[in-house]
Amino acid sequence: MHLWQATVPFCLLAAASLPGATATAWGFTDATVAVQPKGAGVNGGFKEQFVASKPLSRPVSLAGADTLRVTLTAQEGSSAKRPDQAFLLLKDAQTGLDISYPFNAKENGKSRVELTQKDLPIQFLSLSDPVDARIIIGGFGGSAAYDSSAFQLSIDRNPNEPVPTVETQRYGKKPEIHHIFKESASNPPFIITLAFVAMVGAAIPALAGLWFFLGANINHLPSALKSAPLPHAVFLGSLVAFEGIFFLYYTCWNLFQVLPAVAVVGVVAFISGSRALGEVQGRRLAGLR
Amino acid sequence: MRWCLTLFICCFLAAVNALSSSGSRLLAVLEDTEQKDLYSTLWADLEARGYDVSFESPKSDQLALFKHGERAYDHLLILPPKSKGLGPSLTPKHILDFMNKDGNILLALSGKSATSSSISSLLLELDIHLSTDRSHVVVDHFNYDTLSAAEKHDVLVVQRPGPLRPDVKAFFDGEGVLALPRVAPHTLGYDSVLLSPILKSPATAYSYNPKEGTPAPEDILATGSQLNLVSAMQARNSARFTVLGSVEALEDQWFSAEVKTPNGKKTPTVNREFAKQLTAWAFKETGVLKVDKVEHRLATEGAELNPSIYRIKNETVYNIEISEYVYDKWVPFEVPGDDELQLEFTMLSPFHRLNLQPIHRTDTSTVFSAQFVTPDQHGIFSFRVNYKRPFFTAIEENHEVTVRHFAHDEYPRSWAITGGWVWIAGLWSVIGGFLAFVVVWLYSAPVVDKLKKSQ
Repeated sequence: MHLWQATVPFCLLAAASLPGATATAWGFTDATVAVQPKGAGVNGGFKEQFVASKPLSRPVSLAGADTLRVTLTAQEGSSAKRPDQAFLLLKDAQTGLDISYPFNAKENGKSRVELTQKDLPIQFLSLSDPVDARIIIGGFGGSAAYDSSAFQLSIDRNPNEPVPTVETQRYGKKPEIHHIFKESASNPPFIITLAFVAMVGAAIPALAGLWFFLGANINHLPSALKSAPLPHAVFLGSLVAFEGIFFLYYTCWNLFQVLPAVAVVGVVAFISGSRALGEVQGRRLAGLR
Repeated sequence: MRWCLTLFICCFLAAVNALSSSGSRLLAVLEDTEQKDLYSTLWADLEARGYDVSFESPKSDQLALFKHGERAYDHLLILPPKSKGLGPSLTPKHILDFMNKDGNILLALSGKSATSSSISSLLLELDIHLSTDRSHVVVDHFNYDTLSAAEKHDVLVVQRPGPLRPDVKAFFDGEGVLALPRVAPHTLGYDSVLLSPILKSPATAYSYNPKEGTPAPEDILATGSQLNLVSAMQARNSARFTVLGSVEALEDQWFSAEVKTPNGKKTPTVNREFAKQLTAWAFKETGVLKVDKVEHRLATEGAELNPSIYRIKNETVYNIEISEYVYDKWVPFEVPGDDELQLEFTMLSPFHRLNLQPIHRTDTSTVFSAQFVTPDQHGIFSFRVNYKRPFFTAIEENHEVTVRHFAHDEYPRSWAITGGWVWIAGLWSVIGGFLAFVVVWLYSAPVVDKLKKSQ
């Protein structure tokens, strides 16, 4: 199989070289590629000869203001002749870009083409890899046309100069966008909160201890309950009920539920309070407090 | 009797279904019946697909694209006239009006004779450019048919085109080679998003005017893949305009021809298959998208469908159901390889742009879905799906909703905020202290007397 594959090109080559076996083919001789930097003389810069079907091994570099010049003599069979088509075709395998520059061909087959970076489309300037420079020579009639790689052309740019880009709109997908939310409100560390809650909570025992130290007591409670049991119980109960209403307002009630409840409890507190405080006044008048 | 009628209606509906998604009235503009006979297979194929083909000469008095201000035809197929122009009823303005009213056009050119200036100015309106003398022909010394154009090399033999880009669906691909005799090439404007090449020349091709011979280097404007053989322009209203460089490729002769490239074998052409693909696309039998249903709701179970108001930071689900028309039926739409169907949630500019994922497939449609959290910005937003791609009709779905702020009772309660516990504890300790004070004030016996007594 491999042997068969290897022999096919040889057979084709042999067939092509046999005189009269097939129609003539287009080709070229005396081909040179030169890169002339700006300001250098005609013979300044890089210059190298190349032959058909054998691309140069090193890429040819075309920098900023250089001029690339390719000259060759086109041949049909072995006689020099002006071809109908003589192009220098630049082709980038990766992007599939291609562009041709026609040779200026004379009747005796001598052809030349000159190229600077200004002649290249913008898309070629941003390519990182060298492009394939091919020579295409063809014409009408039965002669086989020639198309083969001649050299690799590396389009070098000054790294400090920005590569011109082209912005054209094309229908296609766009980059995804995910909304970035504002940071949500955060709490201080839980331990610190607990420490401060404990400090606030300690205020009640501290107050109780202080009062106890100063001699606060509830020694009059039995006598007060004996002389006016109902007003005292109801008055204290209504004060606790107020706090209960406030607690419900805080957790689930609305203002319209709170107001009637406060009105009822307020009246109860007013009536029972005046009786209870009357009893307290009685104790004061009796010299008990 | 009744079932007879039902059957008849069913048959009628089936016949109506087996056609383009946008109507069956096709007008073919050609000069004479002699020309018509050259394309008999094409006409037969079109009629078999359900088109109602009428023929008119561009010179005819009865030719009118509009009747009572409405389109008289759904599609227009223009073959290149032998005379100078297309006549008074097919001026570029009439043809553009026809497109503005959603009519589709397939324009065939020919490299045999110069293209008329009225066609050239029509193409110029669409940013499609012909060569300056309008009589160029594409030749390629590598990919020509050695059997019919051994000397002139003007019958191109090319592969059917693959996808234009990796993210674009290939409507015209397949096995086999096309024979394109005497193509009048065109180049496309650089800036237009509406233009797409369907078939480009091989890299080694160039164009020239056969009457003038080999072109001088400075006369060559475009070469290789810059020369387009077949191109399409799809307007913003999704009306389609297709340019075919070689009218001869549609002839019976080339539908069944055999071609041979210089180094290749003799192969039959697939022009007939390509003509089917091309006319089907041009007359909206393929590449037509339809939105069946759009749904959006909160991501919670049993949420109301398509509410007009959302709150910020709501988890939201968006579903869109899309069908694609393929020749005679609606099928589930599939997004091409590298492409994405995208949902934008926008107020002036998109806050979210998300790729919609297919979640469900019915017999005729695919349901695409995305789930996201509405942004923390209140205002008037819209769910927008703006799917415009080469060769597909445009989808533009816009659903406006209000996004409101948190209501007063939707914030977290103070006890849920640990940082607030210190203040809550302070409040309740004041209340406790007050109650304790009241009790002590009411019932405390004075202690001063005791001290006095002990003294």
